[in-house]
Amino acid sequence: MLGKTGRITNPEPAGKILVWDLPTRLFHWSLVLATSSAAITGFLAPEWWLNIHVWSGYIIIALVVFRIIWGFAGSPCSRFASFLFSPAQTISHLRSLLNRKPGHFTGHNPAGAIMIFALLAILAAIGISGLVTLGGQENQGPFAGFTSFAAGHTARELHEILATTLLFMIAGHLIGVFIESCLLRENLVRSMFTGMKTAYGNPKDLASHPQSSILAAIIVIILLLAGATTIWALGRIPASGIIAMPANSTYSSECGDCHSAFHPSLLPAASWRQIMTSLDDHFGEDASLDQQTASKIASFLDHYSAEHWDTEAANNLRHISAQNPLIITASPYWQHRHSNISDDVFKQKNVGSKSNCDACHADAQTGLFADQMIKIAPVQINQKP
Amino acid sequence: MKIYQYLLAPALLVVISSAAFASSPRSQIVDFYRQQAGEDFSAERGKQLFSTRHDGGKPETPSCTTCHTSSPKNTGKTRVGKPIAPMAVSRNADRYTDLKKVEKWFRRNCRSVLGRECSPREKGDFLTFMINQ
Ligand code: HEC
Ligand code: HEC
Ligand code: HEC
Repeated sequence: MLGKTGRITNPEPAGKILVWDLPTRLFHWSLVLATSSAAITGFLAPEWWLNIHVWSGYIIIALVVFRIIWGFAGSPCSRFASFLFSPAQTISHLRSLLNRKPGHFTGHNPAGAIMIFALLAILAAIGISGLVTLGGQENQGPFAGFTSFAAGHTARELHEILATTLLFMIAGHLIGVFIESCLLRENLVRSMFTGMKTAYGNPKDLASHPQSSILAAIIVIILLLAGATTIWALGRIPASGIIAMPANSTYSSECGDCHSAFHPSLLPAASWRQIMTSLDDHFGEDASLDQQTASKIASFLDHYSAEHWDTEAANNLRHISAQNPLIITASPYWQHRHSNISDDVFKQKNVGSKSNCDACHADAQTGLFADQMIKIAPVQINQKP
Repeated sequence: MKIYQYLLAPALLVVISSAAFASSPRSQIVDFYRQQAGEDFSAERGKQLFSTRHDGGKPETPSCTTCHTSSPKNTGKTRVGKPIAPMAVSRNADRYTDLKKVEKWFRRNCRSVLGRECSPREKGDFLTFMINQ
């Protein structure tokens, strides 16, 4: 007999039936693809793949939203109600696993059910913490308008811990599927492709009658459209921490003759002041200016120094090198972020020097230094002799 | 009458062209240095100033050619890698047309390379060399 939950009381195999409806299967494999893409771009790929990482994240969030709705409106085995087990049922299932005689479940078993809820929860948390990181650290995405760098930093740590945890959970999920497949002598991976599983007792397609599936589809579409609109609208709020800085032609021409004028947010005010009072011995050159021009530039730099910005670059480059407080490229953060780049790359014809930020950062003049705007050919950069 | 005409035409030409010459910002700058130096300039000395390795300046910049390359007609490069347009007037008509700019760079570059300011004669020599290039 078949209970409402799909639990089998009569363990007689009775042929294959359709258990996983098409939307659930599509959901599952799309989630596999999107999560793989997010994990690869997050753990392995260089910074400038950030867009692919972020889009993978949006797709995962959309899939999780879909799955939650489908958990109420899908076909019987896809519904949460069909795999909400009591603690007692869960314990007895785990015990049967230890005895290598697990009970048969046409849909999810209690161990699998826990994993599904946990995966959905952690994916949602990873997605949200990712968006907070994006807003706070990169000044991008829907939360950029109201997320501080510090909040982004905390979110990033959480995002990384959760993502690492997810890897372990995925491993657990795969091991669980493998064990279950062996013990039940049924290829559960294939089931997730075909939707077919061995039924026990009264065979009856459990997936072919998705009740209220049209309503569910409408709700899913409305929610996704509303979500996308909200994200788009929030993304139009100007990023917090980026202050309006009028163009200053005196600065950009006078300090842009020998190198591109550095964005004022790249050094703290004290460093700028020292630079402006020692221009006659400026890194091995005389860069002296007349008094009037110099004081004009000094006050501009004072006004827009690193202290006034809440961007990733300003927050990090504010911590200057103790030995070389005037050199951006000597700061611990700069050194750390560019440690993969060999000296040959900086000497390359199209770069010339570490100080030539524009050669590699298309947005150097904005002070944003977005991951996606790193433009020099990655092959050249990743070669370290 | 006719003789006057023959004499007048070239005379007028000289007057007009020298007036045009005198009014060009570049020659005004050269004149400015000539007044200070009180002597005529030599492109040859200018060339020497440009290409000699000097001591006394900053070790990073022993010569004008460090940045401007050995030929004034070439595009130069700062130590940070930013291109510098050629110094020769034939390659870059905007050169030496703004006294403030010329003074600023003579002050800086002479101090960097020679460890002192250039004299008006040196500046005039340098400009004469570049104008002939
Ligand atoms: C005469 C040429 C010249 C001018 C003009 C000049 N600089 Fe520089 N600057 C240099 C050189 C050369 C370096 C050293 C670059 C290197 O070592 O790679 C440098 C380095 C710097 C650095 C450190 C960059 C790093 O690598 O971290 C800062 C900051 C800086 N300059 C600011 C200024 C400011 C502000 C002005 C305008 C007042 C200015 N510079 C004008 C030549 C110049
Ligand atoms: C030779 C190319 C090159 C030059 C020149 C260069 N950078 Fe970078 N920069 C990179 C690369 C590549 C990365 C990413 C490194 C990574 O994460 O592996 C990076 C990362 C950064 C980051 C972190 C960006 C983020 O969102 O994670 C900042 C900030 C930064 N650079 C600032 C600067 C500044 C300021 C200068 C000039 C003083 C500069 N860079 C010069 C190549 C360069
Ligand atoms: C460290 C690099 C460097 C060295 C060495 C150097 N220059 Fe320059 N020079 C520059 C830069 C940069 C400019 C300004 C960029 C431009 O005008 O295109 C410049 C501009 C000038 C100008 C102004 C040009 C104009 O259009 O008004 C003069 C004059 C000049 N240099 C003379 C010299 C002389 C003379 C020497 C040697 C004593 C010298 N320079 C050495 C980098 C250098």
